[in-house]
Order: sequence, then C-alpha cells, then structure tokens
Amino acid sequence: MSNNYIVELEDVDTIYEGERVPAIRDINLEIKIGEFICVIGPNGAGKTTLLETINGILSSTRGKVRVIGQDIKKFGHSLRKEIGYVPQEIAVDELSPFLVEDVIMMGRFGKIGILKSPSLQDFEIMEEIIKWIKIDDLLRRPVGKLSGGQLQKVMIARALVKKPKILLLDEPFSNLDIKASRDISEKICHLHLSSKLTIIMVTHNIGSIPVNSNKVMLMNDGKITGDNLSPKDFQLDQLKFLYQVKG
Amino acid sequence: MLSSFLITTLIGASLAGVACSLIGVFVVRMKLSSVGFCMSHAAFAGSALGLVLSINPLALALVFSSVVALIIGPIAEKSKLHPDVILGVLFSLMLSLGLIFLKFSPGTALSSTAMGILWGSILGINTREIILLGIITLVILISMKLFSKEFRSIMFDRKMAEASGINTKPFYYLILLLTSAVVSLSLKLIGGLLIFALIINPASTAYEFFYDIRKIIIFSPLLGVGYCFLGIIISFLFDFPIGSSIGVVSAICFGISVILSPKRRKG
Repeated sequence: MSNNYIVELEDVDTIYEGERVPAIRDINLEIKIGEFICVIGPNGAGKTTLLETINGILSSTRGKVRVIGQDIKKFGHSLRKEIGYVPQEIAVDELSPFLVEDVIMMGRFGKIGILKSPSLQDFEIMEEIIKWIKIDDLLRRPVGKLSGGQLQKVMIARALVKKPKILLLDEPFSNLDIKASRDISEKICHLHLSSKLTIIMVTHNIGSIPVNSNKVMLMNDGKITGDNLSPKDFQLDQLKFLYQVKG
Repeated sequence: MLSSFLITTLIGASLAGVACSLIGVFVVRMKLSSVGFCMSHAAFAGSALGLVLSINPLALALVFSSVVALIIGPIAEKSKLHPDVILGVLFSLMLSLGLIFLKFSPGTALSSTAMGILWGSILGINTREIILLGIITLVILISMKLFSKEFRSIMFDRKMAEASGINTKPFYYLILLLTSAVVSLSLKLIGGLLIFALIINPASTAYEFFYDIRKIIIFSPLLGVGYCFLGIIISFLFDFPIGSSIGVVSAICFGISVILSPKRRKG
C-alpha cells in the first residue's frame, strides 16, 4: 500500500458482541490524504460502524485497518489524537456537571498529553474554533441544557479543536436547521480546501452531500455497494435500490 | 484525655468525610454506586475473616475490596453479563461470607469489634488508622490534581474520552482501586452496611447545586465533613450508632437538596 493513503481497510469485518452477523463485512477502502469522502446508505447499513472501526473505538474482527500508515489496533490511542470524531448522537443528561467550554477543550486533552495542563496556545486554538463555529454565546452554558443542534455544533468544535489530520463526521447535520446545516457544511468544505483535511462524512440524506466532496460511497447491508461516484453520477435506479423504494 | 479523644475522633471523621465524598464524585457520575456498595460488603467480609483468623481486619478488608474491584472492572468491561447481575452476585456472596465469618469470630470482645465493623465505631479508631486515612486522602487529592483532565473527560463520556486519544482503562481502574481503599480504610468509622452513604450522599447533594465539576469537587468533601460532624454530635447526644447517624443526616440533606436544587427549578 502506498504512503499516499491516510486510511486503509483491507478485507475488514466488524461484529458487535453477542451478534453473529458482521455489522460491516468485506470492506476494502483506500482514502488519500486530503480526500473528502461521503458515505451514504439507509439506516442499519453499517455507516457508523465503519467510522468507529476506522478510529478504532470498535475493534475489527477480521482484516487490517491502517490509519496514517499504522495499525489502529496497536496504536489506537496515539492515532486518535489525530482523528476528530463527531458522533451522530451523544447522551448528555440534563444535569450534566460540565460547561460547554470544558467539553470543547476535552477534545484536545489526548493531544495535550498526560500530566500537562492546557497551555495558552491550547486556549487560543479553542477560541479560534469557537469563533469560527459561532458558538461564543454558549461557552458558559451547561452542556446538558443545549438543544440538539447546539450540542451538535459543540461536538463539531470539540472534534476540530485538536486540529485533526482526519475528520470523521457521523450525520453532522441531523439536528441542525437548514441555515445552520448550510453554514456548517460550507465551513467544512472551506476547511477541506484550505487545510487539506481528510474528511469522511456519513449521511443518509443525499441532499446534504457537500459539493466539493471527492467521491461518494454507497453502503447497504454492511457492504460497500458503490464506490467512486460523484453526486451527479447517481442514477434514480441506484437510489431506489439502496433505499428499497418500490415503483 | 477527653480532648485528645475528641481530637482523634474529629480528625478521623474529617479524613473519612473528605476521602469518601471525593471518591463519591466519581462513583456518582460514573454510575458506580452499586460497585461501591459491593466493595463495602467485600471489605466487611474481609474484616470479619480477619477477626476469625486473628489477622489485621483492616489489611484483609483492603485485600477483599481490592480483589472485588479488580474482578468487577474486567468483567463489567468484557463479559456479556450485565454489570448489575455481576454486582448482585458478588454483593450477596460477600455479605453472606461476612456473616458466616462473624458467626465464627470468637469471644465477646471480638463480637463487639465485629459489630463495630457492621455499624461503625469511631471509639475504636486509632492513630495508625488515622495516618492511613490521611495517606489515602492525600493520594486521592494528588491523583485528582495530576489526572484532572483525564478524569473529567472520562466523567463526561468514556467513549468520547477514548475518541480524543485518552487511554481510559488505567484511569478507570485507578478510580476502582481508590474506591476500594477508601471503603476499607473508612470501614471502622461508619461501618460496612452504611459506608456507601458517605460515598454517595455528599457527592449526590453537591451534584444538585452545580453545573461546574470543579465546584462539585470542592463542595462534596465539605459536605462529607459536615455530615460526619453532625452525625457524631447526634450519635453522642442520642447514643445512636455513628454510621447510622451519618446515614440519616446525609440522606435528609440530600432530600432537601433535591427540593432546593436550582437545577430542578423551572423558569
């Protein structure tokens, strides 16, 4: 495999505990540095499992996963310092004793390292991201009191504050209104173009695929069923098959 | 003589109050209440065995609760059994063992020591135990200072802490082991049956008032010490067991805090 690839999956299966059928299977994937990949597919297609297998939170049961040229199983913790991850949902209870600014800075804790406190530079980076995402007004709010959309923005800021080399986005617009979705989508596109950030974005909404994504990948039933597509390449029949629409 | 006894009592109570309620901040937030409950009964079983075998009850309490901590950690992480099931089994096993050991503890003097383990007895606390409580309190404070980032991140969401590049496992086990040490060393003060009241109640009360974890970490030990002092006063006044007095005081205060909590106020 070439050094050009920042994410490499070779014959990968991931099975959840207590399950017999892999949530994703026979996955072969190579993503180049700076690529913007969108993964689309219906619910239960294995999109989230794919992201969590790439960042090593879920351990693959077969095959090899390499990120930045290293085995994610062996070097998961150090590699995750370079991977920003925005989950589709995070359970935050209403009484959670954390302020938004704390939660955002936590995204950088792995990178700061053990026995060290956040430096002035860390706070400057956080401030820059906060202004960029436009969540200055939320900083002193308890994180449990945020709306779904606000929390999603906070989690995006948390992922970006570590200045990652790879950004994994799981349905990042699912709780955002149209204006906020467009705004964040434009920002992500800008980030991709300006900093050559590698982005893998999962969505079930075809309408939310950013225009400058390099390719679109289709997933269904735990497998990659279509690859190397651009949004304009979609055929109506393909989509009907993917989402099992009749007629 | 009286003043020296009173000073020993108050120092012991203060240290137990600080140590238990600090560790309680983790136990409550990480939903480890049943783990603490299980450890306290393991410590009780260990102490009872110590009495039977004429081995230092404190040392065996520490061994038993640490073993339970080391069993629960991996099982809860890897086993397909629900942690509550494992805890239920271990809890009943430890309580049963403790009662069996007590049955065989010889002599009336030992029986009173055994009752002290169950209900707590500040009268029996000695300088060596106070030093040990002081050491564990210091270890907790130093750990919380050194690993503040990691602990806060895990308390917010363990999976997200992993995603940010923190290896959460050593910190999770450190919390379990510190809990087992605190439980064992505070056993003599409040008793095996009620020690988790001093772990859970001050921290739960503090959580009712603040959205900032740093404030909770400061407020919880203050409450812990306050409950201990109030419990001791009530115990002396009405000749109640100290553990029960602390349990009742802390539970009433928690109830009041739920009513007064700004977090639950509307508008």
